Amino acid sequence: MKAVEVVNLKKSYPKKIPLPFRRVEWVEAVKGITFSVRKGELFGLLGPNGAGKTTTIKILTTLLEPSGGEAKVLGYDVVKEAREVRRRINLVAEGERTLYWRLSAYENLRYFASIYHVPKRDAERRINELLKMVGLWERRNDLVMGFSRGMKQRLAIAKALINDPEVLFLDEPTLGLDVQSTIFVRDFVKSLVKEEGKTVLLTTHYMVEAEKLCDRIAIIDHGKIIAMDTPQNLKKLVRDEEAVEIRVKDFSPEKVKEVDERLVVVEKEPEKGTLVLRGSIDEEDLPKVVERLIRAGAKILSVEKKEPTLEDVFIKLTGRALRD
Amino acid sequence: MALVAVIDKEFRMFFRYPLRVVSSLIVGLVFLLQFVYFGQAVLGGRYSALLQSSTGVGDYPTYALIGYVLWWVSVSPMEASVWGVRRELQRGTLESNVVSPMGLVEMVVALSLSWMLMDSVIMAVVFVMGAVIFEIPLSGAVVVKSLPVIGLSFLAFLGFALVFAGLVMVLKNIGPFAQIFEFLILFLSGAFFPLSTLPGWVANLSKAFPLTHAASAVRKVFVGMPYSAIEGEIAWLLLLLPLYWAVSYLSFRWAEKTARMIGYGGY
Ligand SMILES: Nc1ncnc2c1ncn2[C@@H]1O[C@H](COP(=O)(O)OP(=O)(O)OP(=O)(O)O)[C@@H](O)[C@H]1O
Ligand SMILES: [Mg+2]
Repeated sequence: MKAVEVVNLKKSYPKKIPLPFRRVEWVEAVKGITFSVRKGELFGLLGPNGAGKTTTIKILTTLLEPSGGEAKVLGYDVVKEAREVRRRINLVAEGERTLYWRLSAYENLRYFASIYHVPKRDAERRINELLKMVGLWERRNDLVMGFSRGMKQRLAIAKALINDPEVLFLDEPTLGLDVQSTIFVRDFVKSLVKEEGKTVLLTTHYMVEAEKLCDRIAIIDHGKIIAMDTPQNLKKLVRDEEAVEIRVKDFSPEKVKEVDERLVVVEKEPEKGTLVLRGSIDEEDLPKVVERLIRAGAKILSVEKKEPTLEDVFIKLTGRALRD
Repeated sequence: MALVAVIDKEFRMFFRYPLRVVSSLIVGLVFLLQFVYFGQAVLGGRYSALLQSSTGVGDYPTYALIGYVLWWVSVSPMEASVWGVRRELQRGTLESNVVSPMGLVEMVVALSLSWMLMDSVIMAVVFVMGAVIFEIPLSGAVVVKSLPVIGLSFLAFLGFALVFAGLVMVLKNIGPFAQIFEFLILFLSGAFFPLSTLPGWVANLSKAFPLTHAASAVRKVFVGMPYSAIEGEIAWLLLLLPLYWAVSYLSFRWAEKTARMIGYGGY
C-alpha cells in the first residue's frame, strides 16, 4: 500500500460563495494531477507561487474537498474516510499562525495532544520528548507570542508530531526562516524519514531544498505536474554542458524573451543596473545568443557555465524562472 | 477529552488577561445599573403593580437583574462563534483543529460552552453585586432551586452556536448582523419590561426565543414559586431546544461542506 495515492486530482475554487440559486465562476487551481508517495519516502512538490501546492496539501489533509479525481492516504479516501486519515497524519501548515500565540509552548502541545486523543500518560512523556527534540525545552513555559519565527516553526513541527503520525505534510516548512532555523528544519525532517521511517510530503519553492532533501520531486506549475523523478534524474533533463549564466548590464528584462526564448531573468540588481540571465543553451548556440544580446544593446559582463540545477530544469520546461 | 481541552484553553487565554476580565465586569455592571436606575426613576420606586400582575414578579430590580444576566449568557454562544471562531479562522488555528480527529462540531460546541461558562462567571459576579447594590435578598435554597432551570436554559442557548459558527465559516464577517440579533433578543425577551406591554404579535414572536421562557421561569422560581408554576416555560424550552439544535446542526453541516469547497481561510 502506498502512503499517498493521487489520481487525476482536480480542484476548482468558486469565485463567490456557491449558494444554490447562484451561478458562480470557478478558478482551476489543480488541473488533474496523478502521483503517489511510497511509505518511508520524502516526497517534494516543487513549484512557483500559485502552482497549486497548498491546494494539493489541503486536499490530502482533508481540509478541502477535491472537485474531481481521487486521493487516498494510507489507503483511506480523504473525503469518505476523513476521520481515519486525520488520525494517522499531521500537518505543518503554511505561515506562522497555526498555533495559539497566547498559550505557552507546553500548553499548545498539551492542547493538541488532547484533540488528537493521545492518552494522558503517553502525552506527558511525548510532549517533553518533543520539546527537547526541537530545542524548546528551556522555553516551554513562555508564551508563543514572544517566540521568533524559527522557534514558532520548531513548535509547529513538534505539534505535527504529537500523534506520532505515519504521514507528515509540510507546507513550505522553511519559508521566511533564518539560515540557522532553515538548516535545523531540513536536518530534522530528513532524520524523521531516515531514522524514524516516517513518510513526508513537503511543498517548497526553493530548489535547493527540494534537491537536497527529497527522494523524489514532482514539479508542479499552473496546477499540473510537468515532471516527476528523483532530483538526479530530473537534472538529466538538462545536459551537463548546457546550463549557462549570463550577466548583463544596461538591458531591460522585457527584451530578454525577444532575444532568446530559452533565457530567463533569475536575478535583478537594480542598483548596479545588472541582470543575471539563465538558460539551457548548448555550446554551438551560445556565441549566437551572446551576439544577439549585444546587438540588442546589452553589455556582457560575464558568461559562465554552471552545474545544472532544478532551476534549469524548470526553466527548460516552462520558459520561466521558478521565483517569477 | 477534547471538550475539556478546548474549555481549558479558552479559560487560560481569557483569564490570562486580568484587564479583559475587569473590563467585561465593568461593562456588564454599568449597563445593568443604567437600566435599573432608569426603570426605577420611571416607576417612582422599585415596585410595579403591572409587573406583578403580568409576570408574577413585582420587584423591578429583581425582574431586570435576572433577565439581564440571562440575556448576557444567552448571547455568548453567538459571540463565541462570531468572534471566537472567526479569530481562529482568520489566524489559521481553525485549520489546525480541523485536521485533527476532533470533530469540528465538538470544537465549536466546546468553544461556545467555554464562552458561556466564562460569561457565567462574570455574570455571577455582576449578579451578586447587583443583588447587594439593590438589596435583593439571596437565599441558597432559591439559587439551588433555580440551577436546573438555568442549566436547561443554557442548553437551549447553546443551540445558537452552530448556526452562527456556520455563518462565520461561509460569510466571514457577520459581527454587525449578530449584534443586531443580540439586541433584538434583549428587547423581545422582555428583560427590562413585561412583554404584555408589547403588541400581541410581537409578544408572540418573542416566544420563539428560549431566553423569554428562561427568564420568566428563573424569575418565578426566584421569588419562591414552586416548579409547578413554571411548567409552561419548561414545556416551551423543551420544545425549542431540539428545534434550535436541529436547525443549527443541519445548517452547520452545510456550512462545513461549503467551507471545504471554498477553503476555511478564504480571505
Ligand atoms: N480559498 C481560495 N479561493 C479562491 N482561490 C484560491 C484559494 N486558495 C488558492 N486559490 C488560488 O488557487 C491557485 C493555487 O493556489 P495555491 O495556494 O494552491 O498555490 P501554491 O502553490 O501553494 O502557491 P504559494 O507558493 O504562493 O503558496 C492560485 O491561483 C490561488 O490564487
Ligand atoms: Mg502555498
